[in-house]
Amino acid sequence: MHHHLPVLCIIPPHMLQEIARNGSQAQRDMAIRTILISGQTRGQRRAFRELKGLVAASSMAAVGGGKQRTVYSAQQGTQLPGVKVRGEGDPASSDVAVNEAYDGSGITYDLYFDAYGRDSIDNIGMPLNSTVHYQKGYDNAFWDGQQMVYGDGDEDLPPDQRLFNRFTACLDIIAHELTHGVTQHEANLAYLTQSGALNESFSDVFGSLVKQYQRGQAAAQADWIIGEGLFTPNVNGVGIRSMKAPGTAYDDPVLGKDPQPAHMKDYVNTIEDNGGVHINSGIPNHAFYVTALEIGGLAWEKAGRIWYKTLADKLQNTSNFQEAANKTFEAAGELYGTGSLEQLAVQKGWSEVGITIGGSSGGEGCLNTVLRVFGLQVRGR
Amino acid sequence: MLIRFEQTGGIMGRKVSLDLNISDLPANEAEPLRQALDETNFFALPENMVTQLVPDELQYIITVETENVIHSVRASDTTATPALRALIQNLSKKARSRRTKKE
Repeated sequence: MHHHLPVLCIIPPHMLQEIARNGSQAQRDMAIRTILISGQTRGQRRAFRELKGLVAASSMAAVGGGKQRTVYSAQQGTQLPGVKVRGEGDPASSDVAVNEAYDGSGITYDLYFDAYGRDSIDNIGMPLNSTVHYQKGYDNAFWDGQQMVYGDGDEDLPPDQRLFNRFTACLDIIAHELTHGVTQHEANLAYLTQSGALNESFSDVFGSLVKQYQRGQAAAQADWIIGEGLFTPNVNGVGIRSMKAPGTAYDDPVLGKDPQPAHMKDYVNTIEDNGGVHINSGIPNHAFYVTALEIGGLAWEKAGRIWYKTLADKLQNTSNFQEAANKTFEAAGELYGTGSLEQLAVQKGWSEVGITIGGSSGGEGCLNTVLRVFGLQVRGR
Repeated sequence: MLIRFEQTGGIMGRKVSLDLNISDLPANEAEPLRQALDETNFFALPENMVTQLVPDELQYIITVETENVIHSVRASDTTATPALRALIQNLSKKARSRRTKKE
């Protein structure tokens, strides 16, 4: 929830920036928060990044920046955040899920900070709060708008009936959920149809990149599987999604077959899953994979930077696949030059999933139709 | 009394469904389910309790049919009432423990 600061809300942005540069510590603190929290416009976020470069790291820490992890336990209930079980700097717990949530959010913070200079979910040091042991037999993890929430899988069933392990066991799932928070504070992609599938895809992209970053793997060595290790041995599958080969992650008598398409010709029109956000994300996922392989090397460095810049600076909450293609191409040109290897790699990535850079941007009508079906509106910024 | 339970969304985006006739269940399953249903005051619940779309959250549609009435409720983990959550957990466990063929 955003808390507006009533006094500073009426001060124009240029004045806030002056206060943030030259005011007392308390005034700077208020000004920096107001620039992001009360405005939330793209121009202001850009201004904040410029401003942040002027503010010493020590003062950022003083206003709440830096890695601040807290892990809670729901104790198999539903109350969030639950009981605090580990805070920043505390020794490891005897509970493996607690440590996985703590370490996983830390590594995710590190990638965003080291590779893109981002200070946590909101870029001003938002605390990384995680709740483990959510409900009994809960086969899921989610981002509730303020924190990460993880279930323990099928721990309440006999071993021969279990399909899912605990969701903290997979670093890429932790990074996936945390990235939903980053998206919420940046493009805020509406969680329906193509914009929703992009929202999902950005979470898979940075989920996979965090795993590669932890392992020190180059793009060609990575498995590009999301949720490796989530399934028990009772499942015929390697994970919940494959960015390398969407549609091939699992094929199981109980779970069915991975339904993800890898190309626009196989795009799935459905009203389930908020318009197939976890299904059609296979298309932008594969575009990123091809781009990263084409560029080569460590995928979080160049391909990841292009996607991050697009998410942070270029997309809006109703953006669709075509717009994502156009904007990643634009971002690659700005970062590495027009006609550069990197920009051509982006073009190839989208081409391989059936999207031509500069093509017409349809899909708004489709989004609006689904919004009407759900009786929802896209939140403005 | 017939109950249809549908679960969609979640990080896998997978649909899970379960159809039950309470009268077909053994007493040790039927009674807790009846009690969980009664505690929700099910037929007074609104049809849609999902007010915003939360990334990766599970959504549920529960439909209960009696001789005289049929009523569906759509809810999610963060919007369900405590009593409805208890009913969802009861039905979810039944759905998970009966996963013996393609859903």
